[in-house]
Parts: sequence; structure tokens; C-alpha cells
Amino acid sequence: MAQSRQLYDAILNGNAKQAHAATLAAIETGTTPMTLIADSMVPAMDEVGRLFEEEEYFVPELLLAGRAMKTAMELLRPLMTASGEKLPVRVVIGTVKGDLHDIGKNIVASMLEGSGFEVIDLGADVAPEKFVTAVVELAPQFVCMSALLTVTMPSMKTTIEALSSAGLRTKVKVLIGGAPVTMAYAHEIGADGYSENASGAVGLVRSFLAEA
Amino acid sequence: MNGRERINAVLEGRKADRLPCMPITMTFATDILGVKYLDYVRDHRVMAEAQIKTAQTFGFDYVSTISDPTREAADLGANIQWYDDRPPAILEDVALFADKAVLARTKVPDASTSGRMEDRVRGIELLHNRVGKELFVEGWVEGPCAEAADLRGINRLMMDFSDDPEFVDDLFDFTLALGIRFAKEQIEAGADIIGIGDAAASLVGPRIYKEFVWPWQKRLVDSIHTNGGRVRLHICGNTRRILDGMGTLGCEMVDIDYPVPMNQARAQTGPRQTLAGNLDPVRDLRDGTPDKIAQSLEALQEQVGPQWIVAAGCELVRDTPHRNVHAMVNYALTHPANGIE
Repeated sequence: MAQSRQLYDAILNGNAKQAHAATLAAIETGTTPMTLIADSMVPAMDEVGRLFEEEEYFVPELLLAGRAMKTAMELLRPLMTASGEKLPVRVVIGTVKGDLHDIGKNIVASMLEGSGFEVIDLGADVAPEKFVTAVVELAPQFVCMSALLTVTMPSMKTTIEALSSAGLRTKVKVLIGGAPVTMAYAHEIGADGYSENASGAVGLVRSFLAEA
Repeated sequence: MNGRERINAVLEGRKADRLPCMPITMTFATDILGVKYLDYVRDHRVMAEAQIKTAQTFGFDYVSTISDPTREAADLGANIQWYDDRPPAILEDVALFADKAVLARTKVPDASTSGRMEDRVRGIELLHNRVGKELFVEGWVEGPCAEAADLRGINRLMMDFSDDPEFVDDLFDFTLALGIRFAKEQIEAGADIIGIGDAAASLVGPRIYKEFVWPWQKRLVDSIHTNGGRVRLHICGNTRRILDGMGTLGCEMVDIDYPVPMNQARAQTGPRQTLAGNLDPVRDLRDGTPDKIAQSLEALQEQVGPQWIVAAGCELVRDTPHRNVHAMVNYALTHPANGIE
């Protein structure tokens, strides 16, 4: 539990070096990856999300915490592969075609990964076809799309239509977000959910999982 | 009063015949003229025509040379993605200062001989000659934090504040020098006011804003004043935690974006600070109705009091119904600007 606390503190403080050391130490004492994720990583990132909601943490703190968390995950991933353990939920995320804004998407991706989900980040300027290919090849439960411009938002609708045409629409929950995006737009284009911030995105995924 | 006289009066705290109206338009303006955004950002003559036609169609009190965040970065040689129908964007993976060592060997370019910065300066000259007697002419520069994000990559910069604060100091010294020079050239070309766009500043929180951003913003504002210009500070996003700092920069006007309650903006910046905003460009102006817009503006005026300029919190989006823009201007036309003097 001491190692768990060290990793928790390292993530909360955005200290990647300490996260690396704490993860190594925990592995050496026999702590399993899933235990470390559940006992340290998820609570730490939940606290980071809460502090962001409370306007105590801001984008720099979130990105640093995300980096510390990813440092830990880089050590844990090979162990999980070797033992056949998998994170139970897979999320594909990207900023839509024609849009290069990614900082919001990066924060959501970090928060989702820190919540114990497997996140495949397709990056920015992601065409509908690329989202479809990702769903075919990776079988995620969730597809998250971000747009920061009203002119790129229509690509969210095109992507949903592409998923439908490929017979994949019912295989995934599609969640959308970004500054000009609204709940009304989500309803209009048939998305399953909308969140105005990263913590909300995590909450949405958890609520869909709870319903399943 | 014409638009120029009206804005001058309000910025000086005097009574005006009515409220000024200064919404930011870029893609919206290109649709009014019926041109591609690519042409707007690359040719100051297209930009000037679009701004003039938009101002005259709706009755705005000013015209602007705001276009996109990449003019300075492009002239420095940054990798830019161009689009027909939206602003050009920085390619962050290959940002100019992705390698920190590049900063030390990069010089601040001269806007009078550079490409895209010179284009804005020419645009100001054109607007000043065409409409400068009636309408306020607005120049624009990237703020020190935003320009740093453009050149370094915003994701890298956000972590640099912790990883390498000395590098951030050097980077901001560079972006400050760039902004000072570019602003000076626009003032000399006839700009009445210089907009400082510093969106990245709303992401950093009060501690980093106070330590890293405010001092450089202050130096830029002071320099613009020394060179005879005025300042419109525009930080997109939720600036609730940095309002007090924004209010002490000495800017003639400060834009407030829609996430910030206007009464909080007034309380934090004081009674003398001219504030502009803050209708939500999507939820109020694009998706709302004329009646709701009028009601929202009435509520805003109640909160902000004198020293107020009618505007949206940020850029009007391109499919904003014209009747809604007319409703916003109509409010300004029919309500007094009482002044504080």
C-alpha cells in the first residue's frame, strides 16, 4: 500500500520520475498491474479531475499528471500482455477531420486512460474512414470525437453515418465534445453522449458501463 | 457620432450617443463577401473588403485585421496547414521550436519586409484610408503566451512551465519582442487599437499566469501605449481565475468570453475597465432568437454597468443567422452609453 501511495502522490504531483520509481518498486514487491491501476492510478486521476473541476488544477497540471500516469502504464503494459491481463474497456479517441486542435482531446484521453480504460488515440485530423477502420480492427466499446471549430463539427455526423453504413453503429457508443459542440447537436446527429469537459467524459463512460 | 467617435468616447469614459458594437468576425465576414477563407487570410484586400462589407451590412463600429493565429509563425518559417474554408493551423508535431535549440538562433522578423505580417500592415493602411474616418481600425498580434504555444507546440509549452522555466522566460522574451515590433508597425500604418489574442493564457491557471504570462503581457501593453496605440485584450475561454490580473494590465478594453459571468468580470476588473462581451457565439447567437438575444444583452448590461461594448464572447461562427446579428446591433443602437466621467 505504501507503493500505491507513492504512485498516487507522484501522479497527483505530476512527477513522472517518481511515478516511474514508484511503479518499479511496486512491481518488485509483487503488486499486480491491475491492483496498482485500481488502488493508485484511478484514484489519483479521479482526484486530478476533481481538482480540475474545482479550478485548483489547470491544463499544465493535468498534462503533467497524465504524463506521470503514462510513465507508469508504460511499465505495466508489458506485464499485462505477458500475463494475458487486459483492461476491460477500450476507447478510441480522435479530433475529427480538418481539425488540428488536440489539447482538449489529449486531456480527455489522459483522464480516460487514468480511469483504467485502454485508450487508442488516433490523433488529430482523423477522417471518418479512419474511425471506422479503428472500430473494425480494435473493437472498442466507445468512440470519442472532439472538434473545436463549427466547420469541422459536421465530420462528427459523417463519421456516425460511416459507422452506420459499415454496420458498426450499434457496436459502439459514440461520445462527442469540444467548445462549439452542444447536447442539442449530439441529439441531432445521433451521438450517444456529449460532455463539456474531461471529467464528464469519464463519467459518461462509467455510466454507460454501469447500465450495460 | 460615428463608430470611431463612439468607441473613443466609451474608451475614454465619456458619454456616447449609444453603445458601441464590436463583435469579432472572421469566417462570418468571408461568407458576407462570398469569398474563400484562404483568400481572406492571404490577401489583405479581400480581408479589408469583407470587413467593410460586414461592418456596413450590420452597423458595426469598427473593422479588424484579425484573421488567424499563424501570421507571425508563418513568417518565422513554422509549418502551417492551409485550408480553403477555415483558418490555417500550426502543425504542432513539427513546431518551429520543438527543438529548444532553434530558439537561440532565430531572429525576430521585420513585418515591413515579411510576408503575412506585412499583409496585415497593408490591410490596416487600406482600411485606414477607406473607412478610418468613420470606423475604428483594429490591428492584431498574438499575445506572448499564444505565440509561444504556436512556436513550441501548446502541449509542450504547458509542460515547459514546470520542466524548464528558464526556457519559457527566453521563449516569452522572443514572443514579446515579436509582438512589440509587429504592433508598432500596425500602429504606424494607422491602427487605432491593437488586439492582443492570448487564448493559451486561459489554460494555465492563476499561479502560472501571474508568474509567467502577466509580466510579458504587461510589457507588450506598455509598449503599445508608448507607440501611441490602444489595446484590446482578448483571451478566449474561461478566464475567471485571472480576471484580476487582466484588469491591472491597463488595456483600454478587455474582452470577456462567455464562460465568465459578467458581474464577476466587473467586480474583478473594477468600474473603470471597459469590458466587451459576452454572448455565447454558439448557444446565444447561432442557436438563439432575436428576443432571447435582447433579453441576454439586457441582463448583461445590468451586470456590467457603464464602460461596456456590445460583442459576443468570441468570434461569431459562420452560420450565425443574420437576424440574430441584427438583433445584437439593434440593442446597441437603442441603448445609451452613459460613461463614467
